[in-house]
Amino acid sequence: MRFLLNTGRTITQGSNVEHKNSEAYREEASTCRMNPVDMMELDIEERAPIVVRSAHGEIVMQAIPDAGQARGEVFVCLGPYANHIVSPETHCTGMPDFKATVVDIEPTTEGVWPVWKLMESVGGCRYED
Amino acid sequence: MKIEDVVCTFCGCLCDDLVVEVEGDMVVNVENGCTLANKKFMGNNRLKTPIKRDGGNWKKVGLDEAIQTAAGILLDADRPLLYGWSGTHGEAQTIGVHMAELLGAVIDNTSTVCHGPSIMAIQEVGHPGCTLGQVKNRADVIVYWGANPIEAHPRHMSRYTTYADGFFLKEAFRERKVIVVDIRKTETANIADEFIMVEPGADYALLSALRAIVRGKGDVLPRTVAGVEKEQLIRVADICMSAKFGAMFFGLGLTMSRGKYKNIRNAIELTEELNRHTKFTISPMRGHWNVYGSNEVFTWITGYPFAVDFARGIAFYNPGETTSVDILKRGECDACLVVGSDPGAHFPGDCCRHLADIPTIQIDPHVNATTHLSRLQIPVAVTGIDAEGTAYRMDGVPIRTRKVIDTTYPSDSEVLDKIYQIIRKET
Repeated sequence: MRFLLNTGRTITQGSNVEHKNSEAYREEASTCRMNPVDMMELDIEERAPIVVRSAHGEIVMQAIPDAGQARGEVFVCLGPYANHIVSPETHCTGMPDFKATVVDIEPTTEGVWPVWKLMESVGGCRYED
Repeated sequence: MKIEDVVCTFCGCLCDDLVVEVEGDMVVNVENGCTLANKKFMGNNRLKTPIKRDGGNWKKVGLDEAIQTAAGILLDADRPLLYGWSGTHGEAQTIGVHMAELLGAVIDNTSTVCHGPSIMAIQEVGHPGCTLGQVKNRADVIVYWGANPIEAHPRHMSRYTTYADGFFLKEAFRERKVIVVDIRKTETANIADEFIMVEPGADYALLSALRAIVRGKGDVLPRTVAGVEKEQLIRVADICMSAKFGAMFFGLGLTMSRGKYKNIRNAIELTEELNRHTKFTISPMRGHWNVYGSNEVFTWITGYPFAVDFARGIAFYNPGETTSVDILKRGECDACLVVGSDPGAHFPGDCCRHLADIPTIQIDPHVNATTHLSRLQIPVAVTGIDAEGTAYRMDGVPIRTRKVIDTTYPSDSEVLDKIYQIIRKET
């Protein structure tokens, strides 16, 4: 099913922004807020893993219902999970379409990656404290 | 010991009324702060020593070796990118710009992925803004457009708008009207007197419709615009035109959506139309605590607020070409210095891939997503906690941040100055 991915700040994301390797940050940054009716149509339970796929890649997140979310639109807080599938095209403005990525969403049995694994997937090297 | 009037270095509000209690080199309590401030001051997640990557392994190194390595990488590069700068003080930003000039580098700050489009619009049509003090004391109508201060700037409403009593507004909560425009019903929308739910990417059309109504041309509008009933638009335009003093604040809902800087231009021009009827101002909700400062510092030294390219020996600015995301997308830079930011978390995945391919150096107090993409990270003191320096609030007011504890970490300025001195000798 096709959705428009929107990103932005949440207070939980901001609270954990200096703890990006923490479970709390991973949990918040990989949470996809969806309209409850859309979740029901896709047979997605609360906190169940979903794969979010755009023309630029795919990422596993977990879904939670949010009645403030319009049908056909999803919200993920800004961070490495949402940005992993955002296009770098800026239309000559310098600014990517962080608030308007077309995505397909479906349930999955895969788990959500930690931040370091996401960075390793683009060529990085894990650092552990 | 309790220290009063401490400045919070988290968001662009730069709240300067915190009371911080310290014991030795630890902050043990914070009063007046929001959740974000408390987490920032009470955090204990610092990287302890510089770290350097050797193939697939990380090793701890001394500060001198780290500084030599950083300078060497930047000197070896043909097209270095110096990115970030919004999470550090003005004095460090100044060194960064001078370093970019010596290296013939591109220097860009985080406004490139936040309010860069706002600045581009302001360059076209100007900025009818004001200080937050004016808003607090005078504004009886507040508009938040594409902004969610309850999550992003938690004290904005209590210090300056909805809940802040002012000189001409003794009972702000009753006397101020709050209008929120967003594509989703946020916490901020829940407390609005008028919530306009606009279709995604249709802000430009909505702004144009409001301009038409304010100009007295509302009869040309269809029954709905951008998913919003004409009646609501007429009602909102009436509230704005009847204001004694209105203040519009806009966020990334406008700068990142379809239309980008043209949305902001239209919002500024709506403000101009409203000024034919009353006093109205418009201001961006700046995110990082000193992103406004990075625009100020870059501008007073180079003439340009972000995305400044020194490759020609002079300052050159062309958003879309000299902006970080575009440079990384093209795989153009061959080294990157990141200061006070985390592009690993906030740039598209394809840009992160290039950051991992090239020698990326990070100067930051914490382990973050960029750490895993870097070859070298130098931990520094946190400005506002164990370092001091100048920052600019979101309304352009400079505020001196304070140091409340002593640690052994060098400040951003100290580290950058050491790297700069090596580069100066070699160029």
